[in-house]
Amino acid sequence: MISRRVASENPDRLYTVTGGRSHTDESSMDMVTLIVSECDPTPGMQSEHVKILQMCRQPMAVVEVSSELKLPISVVRILLCDLLDTGRITARHPPKAPAKAQLPNPEILEQVLVGLQNL
Amino acid sequence: MPAHIPVHRRALLVPLAVAIVAGTACVWAVAEAPVEGRTLMAWSLGTAAVLLCAAITFGLYGRQQTQQLRDRLQAMDADVAQLADQTLPALVKRLRDGASVDTALAEVHRPADLAQQRILWTLAQEVGRGDRMRAAAMSACANAAGRVQALATSMLADLREMEDRHDEKVLGDLLRLDHSTAQAGRLADSIAVLTGARSGRRWTKPIVMESIMRGAVGRISAYQRVRVHSASTVAIAGHAAEGVMHALAELMDNATSFSPPSEEVHVYVEEVSTGVVITIEDCGLVMSAVALSRARQAVSSEPLDLTTLSGTRLGLAVVGCLARKHDLTVSFRPSSRGGTGVVVMIPQKLVTQPPPLPAPDPPRPPSVPAARRAPSTAVAAPAPAERVADGDLPRRRRGQTLAAATSTTAAAEPKPPARDRPKPSLSDAGARFSAFRQASRGTGGGATPADTPDVSAEDDTL
Repeated sequence: MISRRVASENPDRLYTVTGGRSHTDESSMDMVTLIVSECDPTPGMQSEHVKILQMCRQPMAVVEVSSELKLPISVVRILLCDLLDTGRITARHPPKAPAKAQLPNPEILEQVLVGLQNL
Repeated sequence: MPAHIPVHRRALLVPLAVAIVAGTACVWAVAEAPVEGRTLMAWSLGTAAVLLCAAITFGLYGRQQTQQLRDRLQAMDADVAQLADQTLPALVKRLRDGASVDTALAEVHRPADLAQQRILWTLAQEVGRGDRMRAAAMSACANAAGRVQALATSMLADLREMEDRHDEKVLGDLLRLDHSTAQAGRLADSIAVLTGARSGRRWTKPIVMESIMRGAVGRISAYQRVRVHSASTVAIAGHAAEGVMHALAELMDNATSFSPPSEEVHVYVEEVSTGVVITIEDCGLVMSAVALSRARQAVSSEPLDLTTLSGTRLGLAVVGCLARKHDLTVSFRPSSRGGTGVVVMIPQKLVTQPPPLPAPDPPRPPSVPAARRAPSTAVAAPAPAERVADGDLPRRRRGQTLAAATSTTAAAEPKPPARDRPKPSLSDAGARFSAFRQASRGTGGGATPADTPDVSAEDDTL
Protein backbone atom coordinates (compact mmCIF):
# COMPACT_ATOMS: atom_id res chain seq x y z
CA MET A 1 0.00 0.00 0.00
CA ILE A 2 2.81 2.30 0.95
CA SER A 3 4.69 1.52 -2.20
CA ARG A 4 1.74 2.52 -4.30
CA ARG A 5 1.42 5.83 -2.53
CA VAL A 6 5.12 6.42 -2.85
CA ALA A 7 5.05 5.63 -6.54
CA SER A 8 2.32 8.10 -7.31
CA GLU A 9 3.98 10.87 -5.36
CA ASN A 10 5.87 13.82 -6.67
CA PRO A 11 8.59 15.80 -4.95
CA ASP A 12 6.47 18.84 -4.14
CA ARG A 13 5.84 19.04 -0.44
CA LEU A 14 2.73 20.98 0.46
CA TYR A 15 4.61 23.52 2.54
CA THR A 16 6.63 24.46 -0.50
CA VAL A 17 3.43 24.91 -2.47
CA THR A 18 2.02 27.30 0.11
CA GLY A 19 5.31 28.86 1.11
CA GLY A 20 4.96 27.52 4.63
CA ARG A 21 1.48 28.78 5.32
CA SER A 22 -1.03 26.34 6.64
CA HIS A 23 -4.13 28.47 6.94
CA THR A 24 -5.58 31.64 5.63
CA ASP A 25 -7.41 34.43 7.35
CA GLU A 26 -9.80 34.69 4.50
CA SER A 27 -13.03 33.39 5.94
CA SER A 28 -15.34 34.30 3.12
CA MET A 29 -14.29 31.37 1.01
CA ASP A 30 -15.90 28.06 1.78
CA MET A 31 -16.09 24.78 -0.05
CA VAL A 32 -18.77 25.80 -2.47
CA THR A 33 -17.64 29.30 -3.27
CA LEU A 34 -17.47 29.66 -7.03
CA ILE A 35 -14.20 30.86 -8.47
CA VAL A 36 -13.87 32.67 -11.78
CA SER A 37 -10.55 33.64 -13.26
CA GLU A 38 -10.19 37.21 -14.34
CA CYS A 39 -7.04 36.96 -16.40
CA ASP A 40 -4.84 34.51 -18.23
CA PRO A 41 -1.85 32.91 -16.58
CA THR A 42 1.46 34.65 -17.09
CA PRO A 43 4.81 32.90 -17.47
CA GLY A 44 6.68 32.36 -14.24
CA MET A 45 3.55 31.80 -12.22
CA GLN A 46 3.31 28.91 -9.84
CA SER A 47 1.94 25.93 -11.75
CA GLU A 48 -1.03 25.57 -9.40
CA HIS A 49 -2.01 29.17 -10.04
CA VAL A 50 -1.76 28.55 -13.76
CA LYS A 51 -3.96 25.49 -13.47
CA ILE A 52 -6.49 27.34 -11.35
CA LEU A 53 -6.69 30.21 -13.81
CA GLN A 54 -7.15 27.77 -16.67
CA MET A 55 -9.73 25.71 -14.88
CA CYS A 56 -11.76 28.61 -13.61
CA ARG A 57 -12.47 30.29 -16.91
CA GLN A 58 -15.90 28.89 -16.18
CA PRO A 59 -17.05 29.22 -12.59
CA MET A 60 -15.86 26.35 -10.51
CA ALA A 61 -16.37 25.49 -6.86
CA VAL A 62 -13.46 25.52 -4.46
CA VAL A 63 -13.99 21.89 -3.72
CA GLU A 64 -13.77 21.03 -7.39
CA VAL A 65 -10.58 22.98 -7.79
CA SER A 66 -9.21 21.03 -4.87
CA SER A 67 -10.16 17.76 -6.44
CA GLU A 68 -8.71 18.71 -9.81
CA LEU A 69 -5.43 19.79 -8.32
CA LYS A 70 -5.40 16.79 -5.98
CA LEU A 71 -4.56 19.12 -3.13
CA PRO A 72 -6.23 19.49 0.26
CA ILE A 73 -8.93 22.14 0.48
CA SER A 74 -6.99 24.20 3.01
CA VAL A 75 -4.02 24.39 0.64
CA VAL A 76 -6.23 25.29 -2.28
CA ARG A 77 -7.84 28.03 -0.22
CA ILE A 78 -4.42 29.52 0.46
CA LEU A 79 -3.60 29.44 -3.24
CA LEU A 80 -6.97 30.94 -4.12
CA CYS A 81 -6.54 33.69 -1.53
CA ASP A 82 -3.22 34.61 -3.15
CA LEU A 83 -4.95 34.94 -6.48
CA LEU A 84 -7.86 36.77 -4.94
CA ASP A 85 -5.56 39.28 -3.27
CA THR A 86 -3.91 40.07 -6.56
CA GLY A 87 -7.26 40.35 -8.29
CA ARG A 88 -6.65 37.51 -10.70
CA ILE A 89 -9.79 35.67 -9.69
CA THR A 90 -13.07 36.61 -8.20
CA ALA A 91 -14.98 34.55 -5.70
CA ARG A 92 -18.67 34.31 -5.91
CA HIS A 93 -20.98 32.64 -3.50
CA PRO A 94 -23.52 30.30 -4.96
CA PRO A 95 -27.03 31.57 -5.01
CA LYS A 96 -28.07 31.76 -1.44
CA ALA A 97 -30.30 29.10 -0.17
CA PRO A 98 -33.82 30.37 0.19
CA ALA A 99 -34.20 32.52 3.22
CA LYS A 100 -35.19 30.83 6.40
CA ALA A 101 -38.69 32.21 6.20
CA GLN A 102 -39.27 30.32 2.99
CA LEU A 103 -38.25 27.00 4.40
CA PRO A 104 -41.08 24.75 5.47
CA ASN A 105 -41.78 24.76 9.12
CA PRO A 106 -39.59 22.25 10.97
CA GLU A 107 -42.62 20.86 12.65
CA ILE A 108 -44.22 20.04 9.35
CA LEU A 109 -41.03 18.42 8.25
CA GLU A 110 -40.99 16.34 11.38
CA GLN A 111 -44.53 15.28 10.76
CA VAL A 112 -43.65 14.30 7.24
CA LEU A 113 -40.75 12.28 8.57
CA VAL A 114 -42.92 10.49 11.06
CA GLY A 115 -45.44 9.86 8.36
CA LEU A 116 -42.82 8.41 6.11
CA GLN A 117 -41.55 6.18 8.86
CA ASN A 118 -45.06 4.96 9.52
CA LEU A 119 -45.53 3.91 5.93
CA MET B 1 98.46 -7.31 -6.96
CA PRO B 2 97.00 -9.38 -9.73
CA ALA B 3 93.32 -9.09 -9.87
CA HIS B 4 92.58 -12.73 -10.51
CA ILE B 5 93.93 -13.94 -7.20
CA PRO B 6 91.03 -14.54 -4.82
CA VAL B 7 90.65 -12.33 -1.84
CA HIS B 8 91.39 -14.86 0.85
CA ARG B 9 94.60 -15.94 -0.89
CA ARG B 10 95.51 -12.35 -1.37
CA ALA B 11 95.09 -11.91 2.35
CA LEU B 12 97.57 -14.73 2.92
CA LEU B 13 99.93 -13.58 0.24
CA VAL B 14 100.75 -10.23 1.73
CA PRO B 15 101.77 -11.45 5.22
CA LEU B 16 103.75 -14.22 3.57
CA ALA B 17 105.68 -11.77 1.43
CA VAL B 18 106.25 -9.53 4.41
CA ALA B 19 107.45 -12.50 6.43
CA ILE B 20 109.89 -13.55 3.67
CA VAL B 21 111.20 -10.03 3.22
CA ALA B 22 111.49 -9.44 6.95
CA GLY B 23 113.08 -12.88 7.48
CA THR B 24 115.61 -12.28 4.69
CA ALA B 25 116.38 -8.82 6.07
CA CYS B 26 116.86 -10.29 9.55
CA VAL B 27 119.15 -13.06 8.32
CA TRP B 28 121.17 -10.60 6.30
CA ALA B 29 121.41 -8.11 9.20
CA VAL B 30 122.38 -10.85 11.63
CA ALA B 31 125.01 -12.16 9.22
CA GLU B 32 126.51 -8.70 8.80
CA ALA B 33 126.50 -7.91 12.48
CA PRO B 34 129.58 -8.52 14.72
CA VAL B 35 129.55 -11.94 16.31
CA GLU B 36 129.28 -10.85 19.95
CA GLY B 37 125.96 -9.06 19.50
CA ARG B 38 124.55 -11.55 17.08
CA THR B 39 122.33 -13.48 19.48
CA LEU B 40 120.77 -10.40 20.97
CA MET B 41 120.30 -8.87 17.56
CA ALA B 42 118.80 -12.02 16.13
CA TRP B 43 116.26 -12.11 18.93
CA SER B 44 115.29 -8.52 18.71
CA LEU B 45 115.13 -8.44 14.92
CA GLY B 46 113.18 -11.67 14.91
CA THR B 47 110.71 -10.33 17.42
CA ALA B 48 110.38 -7.10 15.43
CA ALA B 49 109.84 -9.03 12.21
CA VAL B 50 107.18 -11.23 13.81
CA LEU B 51 105.46 -8.16 15.27
CA LEU B 52 105.59 -6.43 11.90
CA CYS B 53 104.12 -9.46 10.20
CA ALA B 54 101.39 -9.71 12.81
CA ALA B 55 100.57 -6.01 12.56
CA ILE B 56 100.39 -6.11 8.82
CA THR B 57 98.28 -9.26 8.88
CA PHE B 58 95.83 -7.75 11.38
CA GLY B 59 95.73 -4.51 9.48
CA LEU B 60 94.91 -6.27 6.26
CA TYR B 61 92.34 -8.47 7.94
CA GLY B 62 90.66 -5.48 9.49
CA ARG B 63 90.56 -3.67 6.21
CA GLN B 64 89.04 -6.63 4.52
CA GLN B 65 86.40 -6.94 7.22
CA THR B 66 85.53 -3.28 6.85
CA GLN B 67 85.14 -3.72 3.16
CA GLN B 68 82.90 -6.70 3.60
CA LEU B 69 80.74 -4.88 6.12
CA ARG B 70 80.49 -1.89 3.88
CA ASP B 71 79.36 -4.05 1.00
CA ARG B 72 76.77 -5.74 3.14
CA LEU B 73 75.55 -2.42 4.40
CA GLN B 74 75.15 -1.18 0.85
CA ALA B 75 73.26 -4.27 -0.11
CA MET B 76 70.98 -3.84 2.87
CA ASP B 77 70.44 -0.20 2.06
CA ALA B 78 69.40 -1.17 -1.43
CA ASP B 79 67.07 -3.82 -0.04
CA VAL B 80 65.44 -1.41 2.36
CA ALA B 81 65.12 1.18 -0.37
CA GLN B 82 63.39 -1.36 -2.57
CA LEU B 83 61.13 -2.35 0.29
CA ALA B 84 60.19 1.24 0.95
CA ASP B 85 59.91 2.44 -2.64
CA GLN B 86 58.46 -0.52 -4.46
CA THR B 87 57.38 -3.43 -2.34
CA LEU B 88 55.39 -1.58 0.30
CA PRO B 89 53.53 0.75 -2.08
CA ALA B 90 52.70 -2.22 -4.30
CA LEU B 91 51.49 -4.17 -1.28
CA VAL B 92 49.34 -1.32 0.01
CA LYS B 93 47.91 -0.77 -3.45
CA ARG B 94 46.97 -4.42 -3.78
CA LEU B 95 45.35 -4.35 -0.36
CA ARG B 96 43.43 -1.17 -1.16
CA ASP B 97 42.25 -2.75 -4.38
CA GLY B 98 40.60 -5.37 -2.31
CA ALA B 99 43.06 -8.26 -2.34
CA SER B 100 43.34 -10.32 0.79
CA VAL B 101 46.47 -10.11 2.92
CA ASP B 102 47.83 -13.45 1.73
CA THR B 103 47.19 -12.75 -1.93
CA ALA B 104 48.80 -9.37 -1.70
CA LEU B 105 51.83 -10.79 0.10
CA ALA B 106 52.22 -13.52 -2.49
CA GLU B 107 52.11 -11.05 -5.35
CA VAL B 108 54.75 -8.60 -4.20
CA HIS B 109 58.52 -9.16 -4.27
CA ARG B 110 59.52 -10.87 -1.06
CA PRO B 111 62.70 -9.47 0.54
CA ALA B 112 65.47 -11.91 1.44
CA ASP B 113 65.94 -10.46 4.86
CA LEU B 114 63.83 -12.12 7.52
CA ALA B 115 63.37 -8.94 9.51
CA GLN B 116 62.13 -7.21 6.40
CA GLN B 117 59.75 -10.04 5.73
CA ARG B 118 58.37 -9.61 9.22
CA ILE B 119 57.94 -5.89 8.64
CA LEU B 120 56.11 -6.60 5.42
CA TRP B 121 53.84 -9.14 7.03
CA THR B 122 52.99 -6.95 10.01
CA LEU B 123 52.26 -4.03 7.77
CA ALA B 124 50.09 -6.09 5.47
CA GLN B 125 48.12 -7.34 8.45
CA GLU B 126 47.58 -3.86 9.81
CA VAL B 127 46.64 -2.30 6.50
CA GLY B 128 44.33 -5.20 5.76
CA ARG B 129 42.64 -4.84 9.12
CA GLY B 130 42.30 -1.09 8.68
CA ASP B 131 40.70 -1.62 5.32
CA ARG B 132 38.32 -4.21 6.63
CA MET B 133 37.33 -1.88 9.45
CA ARG B 134 36.74 0.95 7.02
CA ALA B 135 34.67 -1.25 4.75
CA ALA B 136 32.63 -2.55 7.67
CA ALA B 137 32.01 0.95 9.00
CA MET B 138 31.05 2.18 5.56
CA SER B 139 28.63 -0.63 4.93
CA ALA B 140 27.08 -0.19 8.38
CA CYS B 141 26.60 3.51 7.68
CA ALA B 142 25.25 2.83 4.22
CA ASN B 143 22.85 0.27 5.56
CA ALA B 144 21.61 2.53 8.34
CA ALA B 145 21.26 5.42 5.92
CA GLY B 146 19.29 3.24 3.54
CA ARG B 147 16.89 2.27 6.28
CA VAL B 148 16.42 5.85 7.38
CA GLN B 149 15.84 6.80 3.76
CA ALA B 150 13.17 4.17 3.39
CA LEU B 151 11.55 5.26 6.65
CA ALA B 152 11.61 8.89 5.64
CA THR B 153 10.13 8.12 2.25
CA SER B 154 7.24 6.16 3.69
CA MET B 155 6.73 8.75 6.41
CA LEU B 156 6.54 11.47 3.81
CA ALA B 157 3.97 9.47 1.89
CA ASP B 158 1.98 8.87 5.06
CA LEU B 159 2.14 12.53 5.97
CA ARG B 160 0.99 13.53 2.53
CA GLU B 161 -1.99 11.25 2.89
CA MET B 162 -2.79 12.68 6.32
CA GLU B 163 -2.53 16.18 4.94
CA ASP B 164 -5.24 15.25 2.50
CA ARG B 165 -7.39 13.78 5.19
CA HIS B 166 -7.22 16.38 7.92
CA ASP B 167 -8.42 19.93 7.89
CA GLU B 168 -6.42 23.04 8.48
CA LYS B 169 -6.43 22.76 12.25
CA VAL B 170 -4.02 19.86 11.99
CA LEU B 171 -2.50 20.82 8.66
CA GLY B 172 0.00 23.26 10.13
CA ASP B 173 1.40 20.63 12.47
CA LEU B 174 1.50 18.06 9.73
CA LEU B 175 3.37 20.44 7.48
CA ARG B 176 5.94 21.04 10.20
CA LEU B 177 6.41 17.30 10.63
CA ASP B 178 6.61 16.94 6.89
CA HIS B 179 9.35 19.53 6.77
CA SER B 180 11.36 17.88 9.54
CA THR B 181 11.01 14.50 7.90
CA ALA B 182 12.18 15.88 4.59
CA GLN B 183 15.28 17.30 6.28
CA ALA B 184 15.98 14.02 8.05
CA GLY B 185 15.63 12.31 4.71
CA ARG B 186 18.17 14.66 3.20
CA LEU B 187 20.63 13.89 5.96
CA ALA B 188 20.21 10.17 5.35
CA ASP B 189 20.62 10.80 1.64
CA SER B 190 23.86 12.65 2.31
CA ILE B 191 25.29 9.79 4.30
CA ALA B 192 24.16 7.34 1.66
CA VAL B 193 25.88 9.38 -1.02
CA LEU B 194 29.13 9.66 0.94
CA THR B 195 29.19 5.97 1.74
CA GLY B 196 28.57 5.14 -1.88
CA ALA B 197 25.16 3.59 -1.35
CA ARG B 198 22.33 4.23 -3.76
CA SER B 199 20.98 7.70 -3.41
CA GLY B 200 17.49 8.28 -2.13
CA ARG B 201 14.57 7.30 -4.16
CA ARG B 202 14.27 6.89 -7.85
CA TRP B 203 11.55 8.72 -9.73
CA THR B 204 9.93 6.78 -12.48
CA LYS B 205 8.90 9.81 -14.47
CA PRO B 206 10.63 13.00 -15.53
CA ILE B 207 10.26 15.70 -12.90
CA VAL B 208 9.45 19.21 -14.06
CA MET B 209 11.79 22.00 -13.08
CA GLU B 210 9.28 23.57 -10.71
CA SER B 211 9.00 20.35 -8.77
CA ILE B 212 12.77 19.93 -8.79
CA MET B 213 13.15 23.34 -7.23
CA ARG B 214 10.41 22.67 -4.71
CA GLY B 215 11.89 19.32 -3.87
CA ALA B 216 15.23 20.98 -3.26
CA VAL B 217 13.84 23.93 -1.33
CA GLY B 218 11.64 21.70 0.80
CA ARG B 219 14.62 19.86 2.21
CA ILE B 220 16.37 22.77 3.83
CA SER B 221 15.44 24.36 7.10
CA ALA B 222 15.20 27.97 5.96
CA TYR B 223 13.14 27.21 2.89
CA GLN B 224 11.04 30.32 3.29
CA ARG B 225 14.07 32.49 2.59
CA VAL B 226 14.65 31.00 -0.83
CA ARG B 227 13.13 32.82 -3.78
CA VAL B 228 13.01 30.82 -6.96
CA HIS B 229 12.82 32.72 -10.24
CA SER B 230 12.00 30.23 -12.92
CA ALA B 231 9.94 30.20 -16.03
CA SER B 232 11.48 26.98 -17.20
CA THR B 233 9.19 24.25 -18.38
CA VAL B 234 11.67 21.47 -19.01
CA ALA B 235 11.95 18.38 -16.86
CA ILE B 236 14.83 16.40 -15.45
CA ALA B 237 15.09 12.71 -16.26
CA GLY B 238 13.71 10.59 -13.45
CA HIS B 239 16.91 8.71 -12.68
CA ALA B 240 18.82 11.93 -12.07
CA ALA B 241 16.06 14.01 -10.53
CA GLU B 242 16.73 12.94 -6.97
CA GLY B 243 20.45 13.61 -7.28
CA VAL B 244 19.90 17.03 -8.80
CA MET B 245 17.41 17.94 -6.09
CA HIS B 246 19.74 16.78 -3.39
CA ALA B 247 22.72 18.67 -4.77
CA LEU B 248 20.66 21.84 -5.13
CA ALA B 249 19.31 21.39 -1.61
CA GLU B 250 22.83 21.16 -0.20
CA LEU B 251 23.92 24.27 -2.07
CA MET B 252 20.83 26.18 -1.00
CA ASP B 253 21.37 25.05 2.56
CA ASN B 254 24.91 26.43 2.41
CA ALA B 255 23.61 29.66 0.95
CA THR B 256 20.96 30.11 3.62
CA SER B 257 23.19 29.16 6.51
CA PHE B 258 26.05 31.42 5.45
CA SER B 259 23.95 34.50 4.90
CA PRO B 260 22.20 36.65 7.49
CA PRO B 261 18.78 35.30 8.51
CA SER B 262 17.15 38.47 7.28
CA GLU B 263 18.43 38.09 3.74
CA GLU B 264 16.87 36.06 1.01
CA VAL B 265 18.62 33.60 -1.25
CA HIS B 266 17.73 33.95 -4.89
CA VAL B 267 17.72 31.05 -7.29
CA TYR B 268 17.56 31.62 -11.01
CA VAL B 269 16.80 28.92 -13.54
CA GLU B 270 17.86 29.47 -17.09
CA GLU B 271 17.63 27.19 -20.10
CA VAL B 272 20.67 27.26 -22.35
CA SER B 273 21.61 25.21 -25.38
CA THR B 274 23.86 22.93 -23.36
CA GLY B 275 21.36 22.25 -20.63
CA VAL B 276 19.94 24.13 -17.70
CA VAL B 277 21.88 26.61 -15.61
CA ILE B 278 20.81 27.18 -12.03
CA THR B 279 22.34 30.07 -10.15
CA ILE B 280 22.08 30.30 -6.40
CA GLU B 281 23.03 33.69 -5.06
CA ASP B 282 23.21 34.81 -1.48
CA CYS B 283 24.04 38.12 0.10
CA GLY B 284 26.13 36.65 2.85
CA LEU B 285 29.80 36.61 3.46
CA VAL B 286 32.14 36.46 0.53
CA MET B 287 34.08 33.24 0.71
CA SER B 288 37.76 33.62 1.47
CA ALA B 289 40.27 32.47 -1.12
CA VAL B 290 41.07 29.40 0.97
CA ALA B 291 37.43 28.50 1.47
CA LEU B 292 36.76 29.06 -2.21
CA SER B 293 39.58 26.80 -3.31
CA ARG B 294 38.48 24.17 -0.83
CA ALA B 295 34.95 24.39 -2.16
CA ARG B 296 36.17 24.11 -5.73
CA GLN B 297 38.27 21.14 -4.78
CA ALA B 298 35.29 19.46 -3.11
CA VAL B 299 33.10 19.75 -6.17
CA SER B 300 35.85 19.06 -8.68
CA SER B 301 36.04 15.90 -10.70
CA GLU B 302 38.53 14.22 -8.40
CA PRO B 303 37.12 11.25 -6.56
CA LEU B 304 36.08 11.79 -2.99
CA ASP B 305 38.79 11.40 -0.41
CA LEU B 306 37.11 10.58 2.88
CA THR B 307 40.09 11.89 4.83
CA THR B 308 39.29 15.42 3.69
CA LEU B 309 35.85 15.31 5.29
CA SER B 310 35.72 17.71 8.15
CA GLY B 311 32.97 15.88 10.00
CA THR B 312 30.66 18.83 10.35
CA ARG B 313 30.56 20.15 6.81
CA LEU B 314 29.49 17.39 4.53
CA GLY B 315 27.44 19.44 2.10
CA LEU B 316 30.02 20.24 -0.51
CA ALA B 317 31.47 16.74 -0.44
CA VAL B 318 27.97 15.44 -1.13
CA VAL B 319 27.53 17.94 -3.93
CA GLY B 320 30.86 16.79 -5.35
CA CYS B 321 29.80 13.13 -5.31
CA LEU B 322 26.49 13.93 -6.95
CA ALA B 323 28.11 16.19 -9.51
CA ARG B 324 30.50 13.43 -10.50
CA LYS B 325 27.69 10.93 -10.67
CA HIS B 326 25.41 13.02 -12.86
CA ASP B 327 28.01 15.10 -14.71
CA LEU B 328 26.84 18.33 -13.17
CA THR B 329 29.23 21.24 -13.31
CA VAL B 330 29.38 23.31 -10.16
CA SER B 331 31.32 26.54 -10.01
CA PHE B 332 31.63 29.31 -7.46
CA ARG B 333 31.99 32.99 -8.03
CA PRO B 334 31.42 36.18 -6.11
CA SER B 335 27.80 37.14 -6.32
CA SER B 336 26.60 40.41 -7.67
CA ARG B 337 24.42 40.58 -4.59
CA GLY B 338 27.44 40.74 -2.36
CA GLY B 339 27.83 37.16 -1.26
CA THR B 340 28.71 34.02 -3.10
CA GLY B 341 27.10 32.72 -6.25
CA VAL B 342 27.01 29.06 -7.14
CA VAL B 343 26.35 28.10 -10.73
CA VAL B 344 25.13 24.59 -11.37
CA MET B 345 25.02 23.37 -14.92
CA ILE B 346 22.74 20.42 -15.63
CA PRO B 347 23.85 18.77 -18.87
CA GLN B 348 21.47 18.43 -21.77
CA LYS B 349 21.41 14.66 -21.51
CA LEU B 350 19.53 14.89 -18.20
CA VAL B 351 17.03 17.40 -19.53
CA THR B 352 13.83 16.14 -21.10
CA GLN B 353 10.41 17.46 -21.80
CA PRO B 354 7.86 17.04 -19.03
CA PRO B 355 5.36 14.21 -19.29
CA PRO B 356 2.10 15.36 -20.86
CA LEU B 357 -0.23 16.78 -18.28
CA PRO B 358 -3.53 14.97 -17.70
CA ALA B 359 -5.21 17.79 -19.60
CA PRO B 360 -6.62 20.13 -17.01
CA ASP B 361 -8.43 22.17 -19.63
CA PRO B 362 -10.67 19.73 -21.53
CA PRO B 363 -12.88 18.62 -18.63
CA ARG B 364 -14.30 22.07 -18.30
CA PRO B 365 -17.22 22.01 -20.71
CA PRO B 366 -18.80 18.82 -19.33
CA SER B 367 -18.02 19.76 -15.76
CA VAL B 368 -19.72 23.10 -15.86
CA PRO B 369 -23.24 21.81 -15.48
CA ALA B 370 -21.98 19.33 -12.95
CA ALA B 371 -20.33 22.06 -10.98
CA ARG B 372 -23.50 24.01 -10.94
CA ARG B 373 -25.60 21.12 -9.99
CA ALA B 374 -23.97 19.94 -6.85
CA PRO B 375 -21.33 21.00 -4.39
CA SER B 376 -20.36 17.37 -4.07
CA THR B 377 -16.75 16.36 -4.49
CA ALA B 378 -17.67 13.17 -6.21
CA VAL B 379 -19.00 14.84 -9.29
CA ALA B 380 -15.85 16.79 -9.80
CA ALA B 381 -13.71 13.70 -9.70
CA PRO B 382 -14.76 12.08 -12.97
CA ALA B 383 -14.04 15.21 -14.92
CA PRO B 384 -10.38 14.62 -15.77
CA ALA B 385 -10.98 11.07 -16.89
CA GLU B 386 -13.90 11.97 -19.02
CA ARG B 387 -11.89 13.35 -21.86
CA VAL B 388 -9.22 10.69 -21.68
CA ALA B 389 -11.68 7.91 -22.14
CA ASP B 390 -13.28 9.24 -25.17
CA GLY B 391 -16.66 8.27 -26.63
CA ASP B 392 -17.48 4.64 -26.16
CA LEU B 393 -15.94 4.01 -22.81
CA PRO B 394 -18.25 5.84 -20.46
CA ARG B 395 -18.21 2.97 -17.99
CA ARG B 396 -14.49 3.15 -17.48
CA ARG B 397 -14.96 6.68 -16.33
CA ARG B 398 -17.52 5.57 -13.82
CA GLY B 399 -15.22 2.94 -12.37
CA GLN B 400 -12.50 5.50 -12.00
CA THR B 401 -14.80 7.83 -10.25
CA LEU B 402 -15.61 5.11 -7.80
CA ALA B 403 -12.00 4.48 -7.04
CA ALA B 404 -11.13 8.13 -6.84
CA ALA B 405 -14.06 8.96 -4.67
CA THR B 406 -13.12 6.49 -1.97
CA SER B 407 -10.74 9.07 -0.60
CA THR B 408 -13.08 12.00 -0.83
CA THR B 409 -15.57 12.96 1.79
CA ALA B 410 -18.86 12.84 -0.05
CA ALA B 411 -19.75 9.90 -2.20
CA ALA B 412 -22.08 10.19 -5.10
CA GLU B 413 -25.33 8.44 -5.15
CA PRO B 414 -24.54 5.28 -7.16
CA LYS B 415 -21.40 4.58 -5.22
CA PRO B 416 -22.42 3.46 -1.77
CA PRO B 417 -23.99 0.20 -2.91
CA ALA B 418 -20.96 -0.54 -5.06
CA ARG B 419 -18.64 0.10 -2.19
CA ASP B 420 -20.77 -1.64 0.34
CA ARG B 421 -20.84 -4.88 -1.52
CA PRO B 422 -17.20 -5.86 -1.17
CA LYS B 423 -17.00 -4.59 2.37
CA PRO B 424 -19.14 -7.10 4.26
CA SER B 425 -17.51 -9.87 2.31
CA LEU B 426 -13.94 -9.00 3.14
CA SER B 427 -13.22 -12.44 4.43
CA ASP B 428 -14.89 -14.13 1.55
CA ALA B 429 -12.54 -14.69 -1.36
CA GLY B 430 -15.35 -15.50 -3.73
CA ALA B 431 -17.19 -12.32 -3.00
CA ARG B 432 -14.02 -10.37 -3.39
CA PHE B 433 -13.44 -11.91 -6.75
CA SER B 434 -16.91 -11.01 -7.84
CA ALA B 435 -16.28 -7.48 -6.69
CA PHE B 436 -13.12 -7.47 -8.73
CA ARG B 437 -14.95 -8.80 -11.72
CA GLN B 438 -17.63 -6.24 -11.37
CA ALA B 439 -15.06 -3.50 -11.14
CA SER B 440 -13.37 -4.66 -14.29
CA ARG B 441 -16.70 -5.06 -16.05
CA GLY B 442 -17.45 -1.50 -15.14
CA THR B 443 -14.28 -0.36 -16.83
CA GLY B 444 -15.17 -2.16 -20.01
CA GLY B 445 -11.62 -3.33 -20.51
CA GLY B 446 -8.53 -4.29 -18.62
CA ALA B 447 -8.41 -3.06 -15.07
CA THR B 448 -7.45 0.56 -14.96
CA PRO B 449 -4.82 1.74 -12.56
CA ALA B 450 -7.59 3.26 -10.55
CA ASP B 451 -9.41 -0.02 -10.15
CA THR B 452 -6.54 -2.18 -9.20
CA PRO B 453 -5.67 -0.28 -6.05
CA ASP B 454 -9.18 -0.70 -4.76
CA VAL B 455 -8.92 -4.44 -4.80
CA SER B 456 -5.40 -4.66 -3.55
CA ALA B 457 -6.23 -2.26 -0.79
CA GLU B 458 -8.68 -4.80 0.49
CA ASP B 459 -6.02 -7.43 0.22
CA ASP B 460 -3.82 -5.37 2.42
CA THR B 461 -6.37 -5.04 5.10
CA LEU B 462 -6.80 -8.77 5.44
